[in-house]
Amino acid sequence: MTMDVRLLRIDSRLLHGQVTTNWAKAVKVNRILIVSDRVAQDRTRKTLIIQAAPPGISTNVITVEKMIRLYHDPRFDVLKPMILVEDPVDARRVVEGSGIKIDSINIGAISFDNTRVMVTDAIAVNAADVEAFKWFHDRGIKLDVRKVSNDSSKNLWKSLSEKGLVRSK
Amino acid sequence: MTRREKVLTYLEKCIINKPQGVTTSEISEAIGVLRPNVSKELNQLVREGRVKKINGRPVHYLMNPAAGKRETKVQQKPNIGFAGSAQIQDQRVKKKDTANKHEIDVFENMIGSRDSLKNQVEQAKAALLYPPHGLNTLIIGPTGSGKTYFAHKMYHFALNKKIISKKGFTTFNCADYAHNPQLLMSHLFGYVKGAFTGASADKDGLIQEADGGMLFLDEVHRLPPEGQEMIFYFMDHGTYSRLGETAKTHHADVRLVFATTEDPKSSLLQTFVRRIPVIIQLPDFNQRSAREKLKLLEQLLTLEANRIHKNIRLNEDVVQALLGSVTYGNIGQLKSNIQLVCAQGFLNSMHDKNEIALFFNRLPPDIKDGLSNLASDRKELGNLSRLLEATMVIKPDAERGVPDIDSYELPYNLYEIIGDKAALLKEEGLNQAAINNFIMTDINLHLKSFYRQGKLENTVGGLNEIVDQEVIDITKQIQQQLQEKENYPVRDNFIYAMSLHISSFIKRVQSGKPLRTISADLISMLHDYPSEIKIAERVKTLIEEHYRFPIPESEVYYMAILLVSLKSDPKTGKVGIVVAAHGNSTASSMVQVVTQLLSVNNIAAYDMPLEMSPKIALDGIAAQVKKIDQGSGVLLLVDMGSLSTFSSKLTEKTHVHVKTIDMVTTAMVLEAARKTALIDSDLETVYRELREFDGYSRTVEKVQKKKDNALKRSDQREKAIIAICSTGEGTARKIKDLLDKILIDNLIDDITVITVSLVKMNDQIAEIQQNYQIVAATGIVKPHVAVPFVSLENLLQGGGEHFVSLIEELNHDAAREADPLNHSQSLTKEMIQNYLGQYFTFINPAKIVNVLLDYCDFIQRRCRTKMSNAFKISLIMHMAGALERYLTRSEMSVDEKKLSHVRMGEMYPIIKQAGEILHQTLNIKLSENEVYYIVELFNTEKEKNDTQNN
Repeated sequence: MTMDVRLLRIDSRLLHGQVTTNWAKAVKVNRILIVSDRVAQDRTRKTLIIQAAPPGISTNVITVEKMIRLYHDPRFDVLKPMILVEDPVDARRVVEGSGIKIDSINIGAISFDNTRVMVTDAIAVNAADVEAFKWFHDRGIKLDVRKVSNDSSKNLWKSLSEKGLVRSK
Repeated sequence: MTRREKVLTYLEKCIINKPQGVTTSEISEAIGVLRPNVSKELNQLVREGRVKKINGRPVHYLMNPAAGKRETKVQQKPNIGFAGSAQIQDQRVKKKDTANKHEIDVFENMIGSRDSLKNQVEQAKAALLYPPHGLNTLIIGPTGSGKTYFAHKMYHFALNKKIISKKGFTTFNCADYAHNPQLLMSHLFGYVKGAFTGASADKDGLIQEADGGMLFLDEVHRLPPEGQEMIFYFMDHGTYSRLGETAKTHHADVRLVFATTEDPKSSLLQTFVRRIPVIIQLPDFNQRSAREKLKLLEQLLTLEANRIHKNIRLNEDVVQALLGSVTYGNIGQLKSNIQLVCAQGFLNSMHDKNEIALFFNRLPPDIKDGLSNLASDRKELGNLSRLLEATMVIKPDAERGVPDIDSYELPYNLYEIIGDKAALLKEEGLNQAAINNFIMTDINLHLKSFYRQGKLENTVGGLNEIVDQEVIDITKQIQQQLQEKENYPVRDNFIYAMSLHISSFIKRVQSGKPLRTISADLISMLHDYPSEIKIAERVKTLIEEHYRFPIPESEVYYMAILLVSLKSDPKTGKVGIVVAAHGNSTASSMVQVVTQLLSVNNIAAYDMPLEMSPKIALDGIAAQVKKIDQGSGVLLLVDMGSLSTFSSKLTEKTHVHVKTIDMVTTAMVLEAARKTALIDSDLETVYRELREFDGYSRTVEKVQKKKDNALKRSDQREKAIIAICSTGEGTARKIKDLLDKILIDNLIDDITVITVSLVKMNDQIAEIQQNYQIVAATGIVKPHVAVPFVSLENLLQGGGEHFVSLIEELNHDAAREADPLNHSQSLTKEMIQNYLGQYFTFINPAKIVNVLLDYCDFIQRRCRTKMSNAFKISLIMHMAGALERYLTRSEMSVDEKKLSHVRMGEMYPIIKQAGEILHQTLNIKLSENEVYYIVELFNTEKEKNDTQNN
């Protein structure tokens, strides 16, 4: 038995209002793991995020390395976490490093910046992101775009192909 | 044998050979008790009528032949007096007895019976008088609001009205056994032989005992479901079964009165509220009228006046401070506070035979604060002032204020203790100031230790998770026995250490595991402690008697060593202070001033002439650190940044935990001395608080911190926490399990918990340190390692949080600063703009931020609650997201059912109105779906605050 990862979600803002009220209830988790090397060092963001955590569910901010360590440590098998990462690159580091078995990865929002282009109304990607998404796609992992669990699911691979960022397979 | 018994026994012996009586000095010599104490016992016995006094010089005493039968009556009297006359007291008691017979309505003289308790009294009377057998009643009220007192009144009313046939008010606190339903049930309902192990004969329960009388079940919300079921059945049918019986054949006629602090709406109480016909809600102290508050104060003061047989004089401001000092605990708290200030007043007015005076400027600080608490409520203060006179004198009055048995009564007579101590110290030749000082500390300790019992209940609750209630009960018995019979001082953590130890070896014996062998060095070590061996043997017998199986002799040694360690370990000492400053006498003169001002002894100075080399300074400071350390670490105050790098070197040199602050002023040293002189403030806390003192630069320490961390990182050893127990075996495992759970719960995977036996503690720790870096310690004693220590009590009381934050501090670069979000408005705004820019694409942070801040302010005003900075930021980010979704036409979806549900909530209209701000300024109207998510955000926040507050 290993840790039962209920949801792996990419969202630049990690834990915030929508996720709090919606996903935590929808996927029935007993723990929220924010996996980000950056936030683990940034006390202000860490505090903001922990304070946004829904009542009754413990929330921790940890580094990617620690996430991988915890996943392989049988003492933590009792966790049923929702894992939140900032971008697809971190998502890949987590999945590749730990070998978590998932069949889909949820993408909420990725903020636009100068390196990125918008592919949907809320998701922007750069080359590294596309590379990481390819990696997931090649392993048959579905790229599920939903802000909240009620939304109808869209496949990001389709959007990426339409933009000509990846060749459709 | 108590002193009183000694005196009595001696007097009995003298009946025959000294019929003329004996003098105080003779008794004092014969029984080896100090003269003033003998004299006091004699006065008391004379007052009670057990001893006769023959006037003359010197006075002779002899046994009163008619003594003995009066005991019960005497019990009712306040049993101490320094001034009052025995004759008068007797008359008063008699008068009261006769008065009782005529006075049928005991509620009449209850304060508020015609005012704030009018309804309650009528309810109670109706419930009691309701034909044919009255109605069962539930009293609900906050802590200290007088539930037990009210129930007592109900009982006396019922007795006077002959509603109940038998004298008897049986009390049972359901919380006492809440962790052990079976034991609770057996107490309440009794059991039959063989119902469980140890049930060697049939036994009646409290229900049977209360037959014909009244049974008061306190804290009834703690009654487990099994108990509730039985009680309800009993309420309906009047019959019940004892534990181990199937048929409910026993009958009892009992008036049931329940009490609880729980909110009647809470789920715990639902069943009770449904099943119990009469519910009496007692008001908060602060809901009472000013007149009633004053009357309550008078009555409680009269109680004390009766005890000391003197008038109590107090000014207006003392009255106000006392009334204002009631913050959460209602009348019970008022009673405690009054006891404290009267004890203090008693001490200060010992020379005055007729009265004690209470002065505002002598009140303890937290009671002084009461005045400002009260002043903040102008209306209440106004009401009160109208009723107050400049000075109030309370006279002893036996008719009023005969103490009832309640949990706010001290189990011993405090004034007697004060009197004894004072006499003793005077004999030793101490001056009055010193005596007062000494005894005041003592009073505080007495009261503190007593009121801490409430807290202890909780902690024993925590202990309960790892040790059987039965073991805790027997340990409590042992503790009591040791204190009373053996006169052996028992420390606070005795219950923990001993019950854990007993529990582990009982498990061991029961599971037939091999017994621990005694090592030779252990035995030789114990040769120095013959009295502990003797006590341990007593304990062994007690346990054997209880469990009825033989305890191996070797346990005596282990128990003895446990006792030694519990005794010898000094209460964690104060944090030491070393002041080091350049100049020939800068440091020493500052220290001198502070020492004189505060009379503290935990502070040392080190003067550094300018030409002194750093090497010599370091050695010199190290010597001072060693001298002043009491085991809790040392705070080093230095005048130059360069010196602040000494911390780690000093710790290395002295093995004392050292923290450095690079600021020395007399004010700072004063503040440091004041803070450390308070008991229990540990080095980290003092350090943190002092850094904030005056807001000086912290840069030096930060640089230092980094260096420390570099040091730590280079340490390749694995991290470990050590847990110290008596044997390092069975018990230790449990503590290890507990700690492991805490660590896992906080996702800490790189720290090992290692158990250590008390016996060879220091050797074992040294061994561990070869392979591990010890980061923290817990257990029954504090080891001599310069790491944070969390006592077992604190750990079990939920100190796990504290433990984790300690560990997190170790793991991260900087010490945890105060809430990083706790900054000014403008900073928050700047931060919000930053985040907006980082996460959003289309909106303009600089322009939108003000609109959104207005939006927050509007909601804040409408809800009349202040949003935390964190929540404000979170809300603004969410709103920015909503605006962007509006602009990109990608709104979120919501289930229709949920949507209609949200419209019923109280937040919905407020959010709708706030939406108008966005409509007016930005011409944007958010959809219902978005409104739903905003409302949900508020609901979640509220839910979270609610759970945190409970």
